Amino acid sequence: MDESEKGAPDADTKGRRRFLGGIIAAIQAAIGGTLGVVAGGAVLSPGLSRRDASWLPAGRLMDLAINQPTPVMLRLERQDGYQQVIDRHAVFLVRTGNGVTALDSTCTHLGCRVSWNSESQELKCPCHGGTYDRTGAVKSGPPPAPLARFETRVEADGRVMVQL
Amino acid sequence: MVRAAVDWLDSRTGIRAARAHLLDEPIPAGTGWRFVTGSVVLFLLAVQIVTGVVLTMYYVPAPDHAYDSIRFIMDRLPFGSVLRALHVFGASFIVVAAIVHMVRVVWLGSYKKPREVTWLTGVVLLLLILGFALSGYLLPWDQKAYWATTVTINVARSGPMGEYVAGLLRGGSGLGPLTLLRWYSAHVFLLPACLTGFVIAHIYLMRRHGISGPIDPVAGPSRPFYPYHALKDTLAMAVVFAALIACAVTLRAPLDAVADPTDATYVPRPEWYFLSLFQLLRYFPGPLEPVATQGVPALVVAFLVLLPFLGGSGRRLRDRPIVAAVFLVIGLGVTALTVMGLRDTPGHSASEGWNPLAVAGSEFVKDARCTTCHRAGGAASAITTLAMLKDPDWLLSHVRDPQIIAPGLREPPAGAMSVGQAQSVLSYTRRVRAGKPLPPPMAADTRTASLIIGRYCASCHMIDGEGSPGAPDLTHAGRAHDAKWLHDWISAPDEIDAGANMPGFGSFLTEEQMAALVKYLAARK
Repeated sequence: MDESEKGAPDADTKGRRRFLGGIIAAIQAAIGGTLGVVAGGAVLSPGLSRRDASWLPAGRLMDLAINQPTPVMLRLERQDGYQQVIDRHAVFLVRTGNGVTALDSTCTHLGCRVSWNSESQELKCPCHGGTYDRTGAVKSGPPPAPLARFETRVEADGRVMVQL
Repeated sequence: MVRAAVDWLDSRTGIRAARAHLLDEPIPAGTGWRFVTGSVVLFLLAVQIVTGVVLTMYYVPAPDHAYDSIRFIMDRLPFGSVLRALHVFGASFIVVAAIVHMVRVVWLGSYKKPREVTWLTGVVLLLLILGFALSGYLLPWDQKAYWATTVTINVARSGPMGEYVAGLLRGGSGLGPLTLLRWYSAHVFLLPACLTGFVIAHIYLMRRHGISGPIDPVAGPSRPFYPYHALKDTLAMAVVFAALIACAVTLRAPLDAVADPTDATYVPRPEWYFLSLFQLLRYFPGPLEPVATQGVPALVVAFLVLLPFLGGSGRRLRDRPIVAAVFLVIGLGVTALTVMGLRDTPGHSASEGWNPLAVAGSEFVKDARCTTCHRAGGAASAITTLAMLKDPDWLLSHVRDPQIIAPGLREPPAGAMSVGQAQSVLSYTRRVRAGKPLPPPMAADTRTASLIIGRYCASCHMIDGEGSPGAPDLTHAGRAHDAKWLHDWISAPDEIDAGANMPGFGSFLTEEQMAALVKYLAARK
């Protein structure tokens, strides 16, 4: 602002200009803030919304081999904007006696899809060669964390339910 | 630290000098509140850009999705209805603000030498703003969008080279996806680019010649734009913005039912700023129509373009009687036509409200034939959440006999619906798509009558623009016949006219149902 003070020599004028400038800034901030809440709210809110967890049927316990990760495809209906979309989640079910663990098939490194290699008895990621054992723990490669697990429960009639 | 960074930036870009040049424009003494009008228009344009950019994140420019994407913005997106209202009402605010600005410029003779080109860029900006308004209201793809655009394109056809111009506007051989895409493209790319260029030119020229200021020089030193005049501008913007946000929060931006090219009951009406042209059409029927659609608007634009070259050199209105008189005549003419246009009752499609078919349909969809599949967690989405994208003929076949359309269902719903029932379900799904899945509360006998009309009458009769064509329209059944006649006719038509095509319903309906139906129909004057 220094250059703009030419021709306004006395301190009184300078103080007055600063005061008026403050009012302008305050009003413009209020306008911008209001517009920012509306526009920003509309931009940000869908990204922050979380969907409720839901229990999905994932087959029968008796069909699962013990200690062998079995891939199942879960279909999750979800409202996305103005349309209903169906997300397909690939999950590995591992039966441990009468209990079941559900492992997410998403590699924790960069999000590729892992698959079960029955010869080497490990879950292998095709992208960067990360491997996990049947409990989802990292065996080798770049993955920073074990595979994510979903809540499971076994119904009285033997149906396996997975919470996504 | 900050100072060092700014010093560095300034040494590379000269940013301080640029800022000073922008803000320190000397404003002559006596330049008062009358000179804030341009800043207000500029500010409103900025609001449109901000809200418009966010709207494009949710809007889909395709006929199958446009309407539902707008419904999502209005009903479910947080801040969405305020956001769209700001954009919709902002458009009206801009038209008003631009006209106020133009009137001020004419009143104070600000367009006189050497500012003729500034004025001409302003005329282009006004036309661009109207172009935005026109292209903007096709985008929601509701009834108003569809029919107002149909009218616009037909207006273009009436002029010279009309078929080519209409083809250019339509994109395809009919109003459809290509039309929507090119109007969208114009609205968000082409027009904003032109607008930006002309706004820069307009402001550059304003700065080049300096603000025109008061007609008679006022004694006293000129003062820098910032903060003295900037404060007036800012206060004016704040007042306008407060009014705009108040409208946006308290009023809902209009959205009709989804565009229906077969609806014969909808009376299209443009936004208020085009009402004067719409009204003008009424006075130039038939072969004279191009006078209203092309001639008069062309004359007005020609006058605006020639304005700075007409009349004397003085800035006072009394030095420019012809300009003042013509401007006044145009202003009064536009105002009078707009007021006359506003006084006609606004057009609404009959399918906006809840007619008996829609009420009946809302009951019929609770039938097992629908809910076997259409339920939460079922093979198909629940009907109350559906946005029907299929055409009416598909829907009619599907509702009448679901198996035809969805073969291989494991448990096919048994039985088919009557044509009337199917029409009723269709009528109901239109309300669902328009965001109104629940019928309003009504008297028990009105409800009874609606169900009977849906089940039986609508198989052959139309009512409120929906149903089946063939037999006489029931919309105004009570005008021609009284309750006694209706009762006798519906019970046994062949006793009144031996050659009647209509079957008697005396044996199908209970006395109670018959009484409700007759009462309802007789009341439809």
